[in-house]
Amino acid sequence: MSYRPTLTRTWWLKNNAFKAYMLRELTALPLLFFLLCLAIGLYSLGQGEQQWQHWQTVMQNPLVLLINAVAFAASLFHAWTFFQLFPRVMPIRLGGTTVPAAALVAGQWAGVVSVFALVAWLFWG
Amino acid sequence: MQQEKKFKRSDEPIWWGLFSGGGVCFAVFLPSVILFYGLLLPLGVVTLEYQQASAWFFSFWGLVFVGAVIALPAFHSLHRIRHALYDLKFQQKALIKWLTMGFAALLSAACMLIWLVGLL
Repeated sequence: MSYRPTLTRTWWLKNNAFKAYMLRELTALPLLFFLLCLAIGLYSLGQGEQQWQHWQTVMQNPLVLLINAVAFAASLFHAWTFFQLFPRVMPIRLGGTTVPAAALVAGQWAGVVSVFALVAWLFWG
Repeated sequence: MQQEKKFKRSDEPIWWGLFSGGGVCFAVFLPSVILFYGLLLPLGVVTLEYQQASAWFFSFWGLVFVGAVIALPAFHSLHRIRHALYDLKFQQKALIKWLTMGFAALLSAACMLIWLVGLL
């Protein structure tokens, strides 16, 4: 008999906090799918106009659209959890007082909104 | 007698650094990029002509795009997949590390090559 403690592959199913952790880890998968789509898009762009059009057609596939919609939701979920982490890992002190965590979280969301504005400007500006 | 110990410098800070930088990019850049290139463009809400896309990407900005939107998020994503596999009790740790980090490195290198070839 061995006294080494062993964990089963399904250890995380026993507790809701562990399940939430695994769900968060899972957001890496749709992200990777989108990155592969994007990489293929860049390749098509380098191949010429016909390939570029073809890539856009492939991106219209309902299954691809669905996974990318999940990736979009996953990126927002990741942002939401990641931004809460920052004030805890790196509290910022200004003039002797600690900047409130809520301000740092809001600042990071402002960053997301500015990137959105930048990309929107590239398309519509 | 003083025993001489040999310390091997760990390469883990590199992977955690790339993971952390990629985490920022994933949170700040990716929502907009996925929304526009992954959803609005295929749905026809916005359009992007070949000439315009090509001129924009095969410039300095293309390299920034590859770094911030593909390479760093790829290392972030595969770092998490690596550790999720450890969490699921897969024992081949060295192999998993090579496969995940190798995949991220290959994807990044491929995109940079595409950029470089298109630029020349």
